Amino acid sequence: MALCRAAVGSLARVSFTPACRRTWLAPVNLVSRRGYAEVYSRSKPHMNIGTIGHVDHGKTTLTAAITKILSTRGGAQFTDYAQIDRAPEEKARGITINSSHVEYETATRHYGHIDCPGHADYIKNMITGAAQMDGAIIVVSATDGQMPQTREHLLLARQVGIKRLVVFINKVDQISDPEMLELVDMEIRDLLTTYNFDGENTPIVMGSALAALDGRDDDIGASKISDLIDACDSWLELPARDLEKPFCLPVEDVFSISGRGTVATGRVERGIATKGTEVEIIGHGDKIKTTLTGIEMFHKELERAEAGDNLGVLLRGLKREQLSRGHLIIAPGSMKSVKKFQAQVYILTKDEGGRYTPFMANYRPQLFMRTADVTTALSFPPGTPNPEEKMVMPGDNVELICELTSDLGCETGTRFTLREGGRTIGTGIVTKILETVA
Amino acid sequence: MFRRVLPSLRHYSTGAEKPSLKLVAELRKLTEVSIVKAREALGASNNDVQAALEWLKADMVTSGAKKAAKVQDRHAGEGLVSVAILSPGNGPKTGNGVRAAMIELNCETDFVGRNELFGRLAADIAHTAAFMTEPADFQPYSVDMLNDTPLLSAVNPNPDPTATVASAIRDLISKVGEKVALRRAVTVFHEPTPNLQHGHRLISYLHGSVHNPSQGRIGTLGLLGLSSPRLRENFASKEFCDDLERLERSLARQIVGFETRSIRSEDETALYQQPFMIPGELSGQPVGKVLAAWAASHGLEAVDGQEGLQVLRFAKWTVGEPLEA
Repeated sequence: MALCRAAVGSLARVSFTPACRRTWLAPVNLVSRRGYAEVYSRSKPHMNIGTIGHVDHGKTTLTAAITKILSTRGGAQFTDYAQIDRAPEEKARGITINSSHVEYETATRHYGHIDCPGHADYIKNMITGAAQMDGAIIVVSATDGQMPQTREHLLLARQVGIKRLVVFINKVDQISDPEMLELVDMEIRDLLTTYNFDGENTPIVMGSALAALDGRDDDIGASKISDLIDACDSWLELPARDLEKPFCLPVEDVFSISGRGTVATGRVERGIATKGTEVEIIGHGDKIKTTLTGIEMFHKELERAEAGDNLGVLLRGLKREQLSRGHLIIAPGSMKSVKKFQAQVYILTKDEGGRYTPFMANYRPQLFMRTADVTTALSFPPGTPNPEEKMVMPGDNVELICELTSDLGCETGTRFTLREGGRTIGTGIVTKILETVA
Repeated sequence: MFRRVLPSLRHYSTGAEKPSLKLVAELRKLTEVSIVKAREALGASNNDVQAALEWLKADMVTSGAKKAAKVQDRHAGEGLVSVAILSPGNGPKTGNGVRAAMIELNCETDFVGRNELFGRLAADIAHTAAFMTEPADFQPYSVDMLNDTPLLSAVNPNPDPTATVASAIRDLISKVGEKVALRRAVTVFHEPTPNLQHGHRLISYLHGSVHNPSQGRIGTLGLLGLSSPRLRENFASKEFCDDLERLERSLARQIVGFETRSIRSEDETALYQQPFMIPGELSGQPVGKVLAAWAASHGLEAVDGQEGLQVLRFAKWTVGEPLEA
């Protein structure tokens, strides 16, 4: 399947080169068949979830317990503690350092599960796209209650844009007085509210992950893990799926086909568009309304373009010169063209192929976003003490303001890389739009 | 929901009157000890918060030590480098005496490393080392000695008089449940001399600060030497002092930002050979040349064979880096 997808991609790209422009005129008599690179059933919506908590509060045990309980329903493969805690040196120390991926399926959802080992590690993984959390389970031991660093756990969740959490109070079998559990509950709700989470309604589940793993004390073990899973299903909000989002096609290449008009090729990033759809072209100072008059993929005409397709689109009344690599073809009004934004950026280290030396404000690398590349000036957000003297070193996670020499369509969450002299020096994610083109 | 488990455990609870939720919550707010410990303390002291605080303090010695022993073998590779400068050297009203310390305090995760309690303790330990040091010129300060030293706080005027650095670390371990350890300390202390032609200034920069600008993941503490036949007049000028401070910040940043291993050797890891990352027209020129030019343009000149402006010593640390044998 994956192979088929790749082939479609490469062919779509060549199908509009001037040498094959006749393909547009070729009769279309084959039923279009589309390839999907699926390895698991897409029948359930997917969501990434992470566990955050103190090293000794049982995150790994909880993860193992979840896979165990769900494996009895056929929704997961049981992954034991030792497998999650993979690397030998981690095992020797009995704590998890690297985020390891585990997946499982509930009645209504498919989850990818990571462990969040540290603040800087997670931020870096998130920016580079190596790990992502759409929601999180905060794990707190009933014996300790929340700890001073629980604040930092919540701050991280806040910083990476998680809006809803589920709390698991672990090790309740080690508490003799149920009133103390009330206190744990009360305190954590307070703290959640302090950090702008919904402290009142956040589900807090109390149980023992170890009991569930050992298959004993069902009332605090397996049944509580089930409760936790249900709480995740019902409380954590699914991120919008690519297909449901407004149409967006970043232009990779532009051709002029005599008799037909101007064709743009690229990979549909998200959404759906059909022949005849009104679209808007934004970026590089432009904002042009037009209509998709044709969609073609793999030498075949299509009725519908959707996320993931590598294809070409014919645009009504547009000249070849009006369109270039880096433009976005979008559902009208769904995105703005941006001149200046704030971003969370990870600066690659020397060993990762990045810069050897630090830089300061007004550094001007190339910014690559989707198919576009433009020069950007970098500065620090307002409120940075002594911004003209602030230094950024390779290996840093840093908030930066990017001011583009030419505007690009983007929004919060759009990823980009920074390059200089053929070397990738940083990778970032847009966190706030500051200035758009009217 | 706990019906099945709880009755068997009730036997372990203390015989005294059951502590109320409110008191346990209050004690937790005051001390940040664990729920179990807070309850035990109140149970043992008849629900008197003051007495419970005393009980906790006494208990911390044994239970804190037990907790510390439990986490002893774990790896603590995160944390902070923290600098305390008590006397920065010459100024309009001060002589050439300098006194400062830099310490590294480790923990297991950067969640704890970013926590305020951890930062405060690191700052206090740096303050203590700077305060207690004998005359020193960037020698390592014995960690064992520092651990046994009474903890002095820069911000809290009434610290616990019985607390030592080691006991404060132990208390923090019992609160955050991670291994916390003092890894190294270095101090500099030069008594002021009546010499009016040779001055000192301390420079420092910490990279990766979260709350406190004198704490970070990579840090340096360095010493500048200044010479001039009219040093006091130089320092009487506000412009001179402002310019000097700006240069000092750039120098400290340079040491941290670049791979700096020495001051004057011939290769690129020597500070004086590096292109200076300094705002303005001197940017990109070798640090050594910039220093000489700066000295000349600011009225500093060689006296008794001492250059007008020079970097005398520096120490640069990164959290968790391997230590030289």
